[in-house]
Amino acid sequence: MGLLDYLQEQGIDLESSGGIVTAADNSQVEVVINPNNLDVTVAENDRKSVLVLHTKADSSRMVFDVHPCASLRVVDVYLGGCFAESVVRQQAGSVCDITSVVTSGAVVDYMVDMNGKQASNALKSIFLSRGEEYCKVAVRVNHNYSDCTSNSLVKGVASGKSKGEFNGMVYVAQDAQRTDARQNSRNIELGGEAKIITKPQLEIYADDVKCSHGATVGQLDSEAILYMRQRGLSEMQARRLQIEGFAKDIVYSSSAFGDVLAEELNRFLEEI
Amino acid sequence: MAEKEIIDNIEGEYKYGFTSDIETETIGKGLSEEVIRIISEKKGEPEWMLERRLAAFRHWQGMKLPQWAHLDIPEIDFQDIIYYAAPKATKKLGSMDEVDPELKRTFDKLGIPLEEQMALAGVAVDAVMDSVSVKTTFRETLAEKGIIFCSISEAIKEYPELIKKYLGRVVPHTDNFYAALNAAVFSDGSFCYIPKGVRCPMELSTYFRINAEGTGQFERTLLVADEGSYVSYLEGCTAPRRDENQLHAAVVEIIVEKDAEVKYSTVQNWYPGDENGKGGIYNFVTKRGLCHENARLSWTQVETGSAITWKYPSCVLLGDNSVGEFYSVAMTNNYQQADTGTKMIHIGRNTRSRIVSKGISAGRSQNAYRGLVRVAKGADNARNYSQCDSLLIGDKCGAHTFPEIDSNNPTAVLEHEATTSKISEEQLFYCNQRGLSTEDAVGLIVNGYAREVLAKLPMEFAVEAQKLLAISLEGSVG
Amino acid sequence: MLSIKNLCASVDNKQILRGINLEVRAGEVHAIMGPNGSGKSTLASVLAGNEKFTVTDGSVEFLEQNLLELPIEDRARMGLFLGFQYPVEIPGVTMANFMKMAVNEQRKFRGEEPLSAGEFLRMMREKSAIVELDSKLTNRAVNEGFSGGEKKKNEIFQMAMLEPKLSVLDETDSGLDIDALRIVATGVTRLHNEQNATVVITHYQRLLDYIVPDYVHVLYKGRIIYTGDKTLALKLEKEGYDWLINDYKE
Repeated sequence: MGLLDYLQEQGIDLESSGGIVTAADNSQVEVVINPNNLDVTVAENDRKSVLVLHTKADSSRMVFDVHPCASLRVVDVYLGGCFAESVVRQQAGSVCDITSVVTSGAVVDYMVDMNGKQASNALKSIFLSRGEEYCKVAVRVNHNYSDCTSNSLVKGVASGKSKGEFNGMVYVAQDAQRTDARQNSRNIELGGEAKIITKPQLEIYADDVKCSHGATVGQLDSEAILYMRQRGLSEMQARRLQIEGFAKDIVYSSSAFGDVLAEELNRFLEEI
Repeated sequence: MAEKEIIDNIEGEYKYGFTSDIETETIGKGLSEEVIRIISEKKGEPEWMLERRLAAFRHWQGMKLPQWAHLDIPEIDFQDIIYYAAPKATKKLGSMDEVDPELKRTFDKLGIPLEEQMALAGVAVDAVMDSVSVKTTFRETLAEKGIIFCSISEAIKEYPELIKKYLGRVVPHTDNFYAALNAAVFSDGSFCYIPKGVRCPMELSTYFRINAEGTGQFERTLLVADEGSYVSYLEGCTAPRRDENQLHAAVVEIIVEKDAEVKYSTVQNWYPGDENGKGGIYNFVTKRGLCHENARLSWTQVETGSAITWKYPSCVLLGDNSVGEFYSVAMTNNYQQADTGTKMIHIGRNTRSRIVSKGISAGRSQNAYRGLVRVAKGADNARNYSQCDSLLIGDKCGAHTFPEIDSNNPTAVLEHEATTSKISEEQLFYCNQRGLSTEDAVGLIVNGYAREVLAKLPMEFAVEAQKLLAISLEGSVG
Repeated sequence: MLSIKNLCASVDNKQILRGINLEVRAGEVHAIMGPNGSGKSTLASVLAGNEKFTVTDGSVEFLEQNLLELPIEDRARMGLFLGFQYPVEIPGVTMANFMKMAVNEQRKFRGEEPLSAGEFLRMMREKSAIVELDSKLTNRAVNEGFSGGEKKKNEIFQMAMLEPKLSVLDETDSGLDIDALRIVATGVTRLHNEQNATVVITHYQRLLDYIVPDYVHVLYKGRIIYTGDKTLALKLEKEGYDWLINDYKE
């Protein structure tokens, strides 16, 4: 069952602006559909889960304010070619997990501001582009205070004649000592005319920091395909399994919607 | 551990900060077609060269200063610069004895082995004093092999066909602002041609030195390695201390023909300015090599000098199976700024490139790696591996990494990794406990950190480079 | 079951196999031994259909079919199993998912219905016991983070799941400690019966203490230069290959 079917089954009118659902892990999740402007505030020590669904070509600006020691989970799904900008402002001790799935030619921009000590952010995103789409995910994490942790993992799959792009930046301010920032960009190009551009950047002004980033662009592992074919899988199946394996940790980083997001992934794979 | 002390003491004196008093012939400040005609005339250039200079100048006039680098560059008044300076050549120099004693002393202080010891060291030096080649050695030895190694002004007169064929081929004057400026006003530089199948028997080296006050230096280097040849070329620079900023905009072009191999090593320790950020060289360099089939080009650089460094030695991997390498240590201290890295442009099939960049920032300096790995559509099976590490010493400096990977071919396998670290107090304590001073410990750790790159340098350079790293760090740790 | 005639194969224009002749019948166990670089692993790869190698001459029949014209997966579905010397890690793809696909592809090939989830799980549990494979491993990605021994056990587990007609085990014993070797070898022996056949490629006789071969072949410079019974392996272990190679040279 895909995400849309699932939401409808949960009683959400897809033409409306959203509602509340009880997710697979029994958490209450606020569902927001195609917002042009969205402001979400999580009060001190409170917790919140939000699912934002973008199904059409539109623009969207979202602001997430996470107050001290509050916790926010965001699942941000792009099934339409949306231009989106998300600003996450995290105060001391807050935790924010973002899962982002982009299966359409969308341009998605995340800016995370660490505005207090010991805040932590984990962002996992996958973008899949096909046909002649252009798909871009940008992530900027500003470590403005000390002792914060951020971990961004953005995976891209470009097929057909499409172009996928990642633009990342980790900024560490001068006083932001003991920052632990990680950023990773992993990409696969499928087919002769697909393009990938990736820019994993660091700008660091503090010395007691652990910052690392990595980027790879490659294709499916031909050895692994050979191995799977030896066990009787067709080349198509082997390729698909590998892409699924590549993308899976991202979609399942959302405990609440892992299965339905995996189904969206499958649908994408069926069509390429 | 007294980290504050470490920082407080960052003020290594510039070892080569002296001025030699040699009569210098200059023309007035400023740049115009007239000035270019004078430069060309003074150098006795043929008409076609003047035309090229003028074309570059006209193009430059329409260009804007590049602003994209992570650098804070004070405004440069290009009309306030002297574009030509040459030590007054009273007569032709027949032997070493005729060289100005003051000039000789300058070289001696720098430790340039221009005299007999060079033979032992196996190094041929084309020493550039300001803008005109003064003395070239070992020309005969090289000539036996058919190797041409001379100043570019000489080459323009004596080998016009080679110059016409290759000059501006890899870095055309339209390439960028500083390349255009260089093409218009370049004063002198080196030309090197290795004929087909020849292995150059010695390391070729050039020492550049900026001397005259307020003189911009516009070096032009052209290196051609013909099919199946090999050469290792060393470029080392020191400059005397100045309070005024000096502009340096060099262009280095390398053509590596089929099956040829070129190693180009640089140790750059121009005056970086004082501990308050006053003075120092502005170094805006365009270095690029073109690799044909099966060719290999390896750039190795140790950059410790200049107030501002803007430099991206690059490889255009045009031919199938060609290989590009870039190994770099860039160290900045005090108020130095560096924005350096490389571009690997994969065009041919089965092309490979490797990037190892080690940035070290201390004091209040800013040190950025900027790199581009591009795989063109037809570049099947391109491979790149990049590693960019940053080491921070002190909490007032910055270390930045701006890589870009642009892949247009799905058979490409490209990897980039980067880490940022500091010298840990545990490491220093451990070394202290074994009897090392903190300064020695830092030198040790920094040299260990940079070893992978230093190991790529020819032996005699590696030693100099190690010393340089230590000198540049002097006082950065208490 | 398997009939190899004058098989020649090359990689990157380098001739590796120079005329292999081998007959394997149901119920038999063959061991192929030989010094490094003699072409043992190449033979396994060519049989499995690794496209890196080019067959330059000869023929291979498997179950009355021309094996060489079949794609790699059809060879597998017919019942040819290659135990890899270096099993590949496939990040993110779980063993369970992978095996379910492999088993059902084989069933589809034979015109059988796919297994239900329950049947499949039961089968997984049953078969993993054969090689004492920790059942938790089946929830992990294929070979990812497996120790050397676990990878080899995992190969035999997959062999048990796929019930091949012919298993070619390429250096399955390399890198195993004595316990793992016993487990792997007993697993192979338990899976052996009168309907299937096993070809074991190995360096060491110690594996053959468990898996008793009917024939031992010595491969050298791309040809089988000597064939004997199980005692040959013992002799090779004691005396090395020199006596054979010298003979061959003469």
